[in-house]
Amino acid sequence: MNLDFRLSEGELILRDTALNFLKRDLDKRTLEELHDSDTGITEGLWRKMVEMGWPGILVPEAYGGSGLPLTTAGVLFEALGSGPLSGPLFATAVLGALIIGKAASADQRKELLPLLVQGKLIPALVLTDEELGWNSRAARLQVQEREGTVFLSGQKLLVYEAEAATHLIVPTPFGGKKEALTLFLVDKHSPGLEIRRLPGYLMGRAFEVTLHQVPCPPTARLGRVGRGRRAFAKAIRQALPILCAYLVGGCQAVCDLTLAYSRVRVQFAQPIGRFQRVQDMIIEMINQADAARWTTYEALWRLDTRGDDPKAVHLAKAVAAEAYWQCCTLAHRVISGISYSREHPLSLHTRTSRALYTFLGDPAFHKQRLAGLLLGKGKRVGKGSAV
Amino acid sequence: MNFANDYTAEQEAFAREVRAFLDQHIPSDLERPRSILKMSREQWLKRRDLCRKLGEKGWLYPTAPAEYGGGGLSGDLAAVIQIEMAARGLSLPPLYDSGKLAVPTLLACATEEQKKRLLPPILKGEAVTWQLFTEPEAGTDEANQQTNALRAEKERDYFIVNGNKIFVGALYPPPDQFLLLTRSSLEAPRHQNLAMFLAPANLPGVSIYPLDLFPEGTLSQVCYHSADSAPGFKYTVFFDDVRLHESCLIGGEHEGWKVANATLTVEHGDREGDRQSTGAAFIPENQLVKRFLWQCRHNPEVRNRLLKNPHLQADMVEAFIGGEIERLFLTRNAGLSRSGMRAPYAGPQATLFTKTLGLQMTGILSRVLGPSALTRDEAWGLEEGLFEVCARSGLCIAPGGTPEALKIVISRALRIGRS
Repeated sequence: MNLDFRLSEGELILRDTALNFLKRDLDKRTLEELHDSDTGITEGLWRKMVEMGWPGILVPEAYGGSGLPLTTAGVLFEALGSGPLSGPLFATAVLGALIIGKAASADQRKELLPLLVQGKLIPALVLTDEELGWNSRAARLQVQEREGTVFLSGQKLLVYEAEAATHLIVPTPFGGKKEALTLFLVDKHSPGLEIRRLPGYLMGRAFEVTLHQVPCPPTARLGRVGRGRRAFAKAIRQALPILCAYLVGGCQAVCDLTLAYSRVRVQFAQPIGRFQRVQDMIIEMINQADAARWTTYEALWRLDTRGDDPKAVHLAKAVAAEAYWQCCTLAHRVISGISYSREHPLSLHTRTSRALYTFLGDPAFHKQRLAGLLLGKGKRVGKGSAV
Repeated sequence: MNFANDYTAEQEAFAREVRAFLDQHIPSDLERPRSILKMSREQWLKRRDLCRKLGEKGWLYPTAPAEYGGGGLSGDLAAVIQIEMAARGLSLPPLYDSGKLAVPTLLACATEEQKKRLLPPILKGEAVTWQLFTEPEAGTDEANQQTNALRAEKERDYFIVNGNKIFVGALYPPPDQFLLLTRSSLEAPRHQNLAMFLAPANLPGVSIYPLDLFPEGTLSQVCYHSADSAPGFKYTVFFDDVRLHESCLIGGEHEGWKVANATLTVEHGDREGDRQSTGAAFIPENQLVKRFLWQCRHNPEVRNRLLKNPHLQADMVEAFIGGEIERLFLTRNAGLSRSGMRAPYAGPQATLFTKTLGLQMTGILSRVLGPSALTRDEAWGLEEGLFEVCARSGLCIAPGGTPEALKIVISRALRIGRS
C-alpha cells in the first residue's frame, strides 16, 4: 500500500511558480482584459511563459522540452485555472505537443517540437462542427486532391485560440480506407482561410473557421496519410485530464472565494455562512470540486502509469466540466448581487466554466462514451472515436 | 502521487501469514448471507468464535495498543488483514459490534485503570458492545438526552439510570455491554449535563425489545463484501432504576458530551478513530454498484432494456460515476490517514456522499432492474437478494447522523457553522 497524494518537490515548485506568476503579473483587471482580447495573451506574457519552459512541459528533452509526466502538467494547469489565466498555452503545450508528438514523423517532430517549445509554433485544433461531436467522426471536411496538394473546404466551430495560433491542426478523413484519418498542420495565413470570433460574454475565445479550398501541400501532413486516427485519439485522451486539472483549479478558486465571502458577509446580523440553505450550496460546491479533483488526478495517474484508460478520462471530463459549471452557478447564488460585476473575481470563472463546458466534449458526450464502455461496446466505440 | 494500493514485499509476506491463519480458523461452513436476517444464531456464534480467535492474535483490532490486547500493528498491516478478510467475504470485526466506536473513545477518555480493565475484553473478542446514544427525543440532537443517570442518594458511588433508548443494537441480543450516553444533571447547562458509561448489559432493570423496521442497516453496512457489519435488527432498551457503579463512568461525571464526541467523530467518517482500532488504509468496495454494473453488461434482459432506452443508460452511468466518486473519496481519506494528514471535512463528506448515493441508487435500481430490484424471489430476484436488501437499506440514512446532520458537521469543519 503506497497511497500517497503529496506533490513532489518539483511539482510544488512548479505550482508555486505559476501561482506567483498569477499574483505578481496578473491582477483581476489584466486577466479580464486578456479574456476579452482575441488572443487571450500578450506577447510579453507569452515570452515569460516560454522562458519558464511551460510550452515544452510535455515535450521530450530531446526536442528541448522538459518531458514531464501528465500529472505534473496537471499540477501546472490547476494553478493556472485558479486565475483563470487565458491564452494558448493549453493549445500549444498540451494539445499541440501531444498531437504532434504522437502523430508526426520523426523528421517533423525534430522540426516542429523545438519551435513549439520556443513558443514560435502555436497550433489550434480544428475539430467540431454544427453537430458538436468531439470524436474523429466530427473531423470531416470536403477534400480534393490535385497534383499532390490537398484542398480542404468546410465550416468548423468552437476552434479555441484560433487568433493566437500560428497554425491549425486539421484532422479529416483522407487516405483511402473508410476509417482513415489524416492530420494536416495548416499555416494560418494560408489562402482561403477565414476565422471569426463568436461574440458573447460566456463564449470564451471560440472561433468559427471557414475553409475555402485551403491548399495543404504534402509537407503539411502530420505523419503518414490516413494513419492518424489512433495517435490523434490517444493524444486527445491524454490532453483531456490536463484540461480537467485546469477546471479543478477554477473549481477550487470559486469554492475558496465563496467560503471566504460567506464568513464575512453579514445579513440579518450574522455571517450568511451560518444559514443552512447557504451551507447546503457551499457543501454541494465542495463535493463537486473534490469529485472533479480526484477523478482528474486518478485519470492522470492512470495515464502516466498504465498508458491509457478511456473510462477514467471520460469520467474525469464528465465530472469536472459539470463541477466547474455548478460551482460557478452556486457561487452566484451565495454571493448574489456583487458577483455579477465584471470586477468580481467570479465573473472570469463563470465565463470560463461555460466556455470550456463543451470543449473536447461536454458531460453528455462523455457520459455517452461511458455508457458504451460499461455495456461492452467499448472496442467498437473506441475505434471510431477520438476519445 | 500514487493511487496504487498494492502490497509491498513486507505486506505480501504478512498477507501470507494472515491467509494461512484465516484458512485455518474460518470454519468451512461459515455462511455469507446477503441478507443479515438469514444469519442463524448458530452462524452468528461461529463468528463470535472467530472474533475470539482473531482477538487472541491481536488481529481483531490490529492497530489498538498491544498493551491492552490490540495488535499494535501499523495501519498498513491492519489493512492487509481487512483486505484478506474482505477477500473471504468478511468484515473486521466479522459481525456488528460497536467496539469499533468504544475503542477510540476509551483510548481518548478512559483512565489508565479503566483502559486496562475495559479494553482487553473488547480487543480480545470477548465482549460485544452496543452503542446506546439515540433516544426518542435525542436523534440528530444527540445532546438532548432524557435518560437520567443520577447519583444515588445513599450509595453515592452508584448512579441510578432511568430512561429509554431507541434504534440501537443488532442481532442477537443481549450484548455484553453498552456504551451508554445519559443525562447526569437536571440543572447543569446543555452539554455540561451528560455522562458516558461503559455498562454491563445484564444489570437488573434493563429490558430489550425488538423494533419492527424494514431496513437491515445502512447502505454501507449491507453492500460491502457481505452484510455481516449490518445490524439487521434494531431495538429499544428500557432502564428502570438500574444501579450502575461509578467505575463504569468514562470521563468526568458531566463530561459526557466531550466523550460522546470522541465517538461521534468516528461515526461521522473521521478515519482517525479507525486508525486507532482497525486501521484506515483499507478501502472497501461497493458491491452494490459493482454487481449492478455487472448485471447491466451481462444480464441479457437488463442489457436489452438498456440498449433500447437512453434514459436507463443515463441512470447506469450515474451509478458508475457515483460509485467512482465514493471510491475516490474513501481512497483520498485512506491516503490522508496513512500520511497522518487531516482534512477536517473529508470524513463526514465521504459519509454524506455514501448516504446520498444510497438514496440515488434506490431509484436507479428500480428504474433499470424493475421488479428484480424489489424482490428476493428466487426466480425474479438477482444477486441473492442484494438489490432487494439495498433498495430497503439505501433509505436508511439516520444511523451515524442524517445527511442534514452531517452537513452541520461539515459546515463547522469549514468554519461557517455555529461553533
